[in-house]
Amino acid sequence: MATRRLIVKLLTLVAGLFFILEFLMPGNRPGWFDSLPAPLRGILEFLIRGNDQNFLSPLVPAANTILMVVSAMAFLLGPISLVRSHLARIVRRQPGVFYSITFLVFLVFGVVATAVEKVESLKLLYNVAFYGFGLALGATSMAILAFYLMSAAYRAFRLNNLDAGVMMGSAVIVLLGLVPLGDYLTHALPEWLQLGFWAKKILEVPNVAVQRAVLIGAVAGAFAAGLRQWLGLGKVVE
Amino acid sequence: MVPFLAKFYNLDRRWLYLAMVVILSVPVIVQIPLPPGATSATTQGLYDLVESCPEDKVILIDSSWDAGSASENRAELECVIRHICRKKIKFVVTSAGVTVFGPEFANQVIEPIAREAGYVYGEDWINLGYKVAPGSIGLLIDAICKDLHSVYPTDYRGTFVSEFPVMDRVKSYKDFAFVYCVTYQPDNAWISFVKGQFDVPVAFGCMTIAAPGYYTFIDSKQLAGMLIGNRGAAEYEELNHKPGLGRILIMATSFGNLMIILAAVVGNLGFYAARALERNARGGTAR
Repeated sequence: MATRRLIVKLLTLVAGLFFILEFLMPGNRPGWFDSLPAPLRGILEFLIRGNDQNFLSPLVPAANTILMVVSAMAFLLGPISLVRSHLARIVRRQPGVFYSITFLVFLVFGVVATAVEKVESLKLLYNVAFYGFGLALGATSMAILAFYLMSAAYRAFRLNNLDAGVMMGSAVIVLLGLVPLGDYLTHALPEWLQLGFWAKKILEVPNVAVQRAVLIGAVAGAFAAGLRQWLGLGKVVE
Repeated sequence: MVPFLAKFYNLDRRWLYLAMVVILSVPVIVQIPLPPGATSATTQGLYDLVESCPEDKVILIDSSWDAGSASENRAELECVIRHICRKKIKFVVTSAGVTVFGPEFANQVIEPIAREAGYVYGEDWINLGYKVAPGSIGLLIDAICKDLHSVYPTDYRGTFVSEFPVMDRVKSYKDFAFVYCVTYQPDNAWISFVKGQFDVPVAFGCMTIAAPGYYTFIDSKQLAGMLIGNRGAAEYEELNHKPGLGRILIMATSFGNLMIILAAVVGNLGFYAARALERNARGGTAR
């Protein structure tokens, strides 16, 4: 068990090191390269190949292929886990069994349709699965957002304190200030009273400040989490 | 007055949905002649990128959208392609790691415009197709910038790219004039890798709802331009002197936004009126 953990940690360390070094190491030799003593120049010639290539760059396509294979294997874990849980629900006849059956039927349908995509006589199956169902369902789920927003604005948005008032005010300014209707409604007013002017101010000042704060926090968190995994301090899932 | 307003508290939501359908459909069917307003700096930034594109360079367009975000991404791609074709600039289309339907939706927009402009597939433009991201989209973008031919040995139809003259002109980021990524919410990795590592200008075309997250990159000049939904597309069409889909759809967005505001106002009026009625019924003491 300990050996397995060690192998996983070592692989993570080497893979992380590979991508960091490949990214950070320059691919072109500096101007002062020729003035270096011969032994040092030899080492640098090996490390920095020129034409944007360092000694790790030729290995990147192979590394990407390996990553793609590993990602595909990891991707399989999701469907396997889903199939197991839905099969269990069907066998135990738990509530929602109809949805589980629907899921499994369409999963099999999707897999078969993809497998026979290149067979000309069965191409219809693929078209039905992806253009008939996939695209239509994708477009529908996005279109439903309009009704969801409408319902949320009507039901959930209550002006019962100052915070909600500020939110409502800025929402109205941004919603109308970014569309021609807002420009038209306030075009006769001085520029500093126009909706477009204030929408721009809201997006460029408080919005940018908040976005930066969130971004810095998220990146710092991701960096810490990545560093923990890379150095083998994180949890090893077996 | 109060009892009338209180009726709005328990309005059947289906009326609101019907109102939304009507208000979104009318501007699409009947064209409303409202100008799109002043051109924003983000739109002008992208327009200037195309205008100043050197003749020996190629534009890389990542078109990664499908039916889900076609309502805004289609117009954003259409107006830029129209401009590129007018300027007779060569371009390469990819769909990196977002949707497998990307290449076909891009073709639906590009093919008629390119044909009209006398562009020849493979000589003036090419669609390289969808590529799955190996682990993270950043690695795919990095690989595209370093060696486009190794990532895309064939175009979306499976023909080897070595058979297309346009691909002789584009090998790596050094041949890109700029990168324009059109999708629901473009990945920040385009900025980190293309602009950050290779210093190639980057522009985005995104859904309006995703735009606030990119203002910070506009402010820092890491994003050279951005089309913000249909508003951005409509502004771009004005610059192109060719009104199109963006101009039509921004009207629907205008009235849709107004409808959402009205729904919030009506909901609040109904809520407070119903509460006032309830208080009166209890003798004006209870809250």
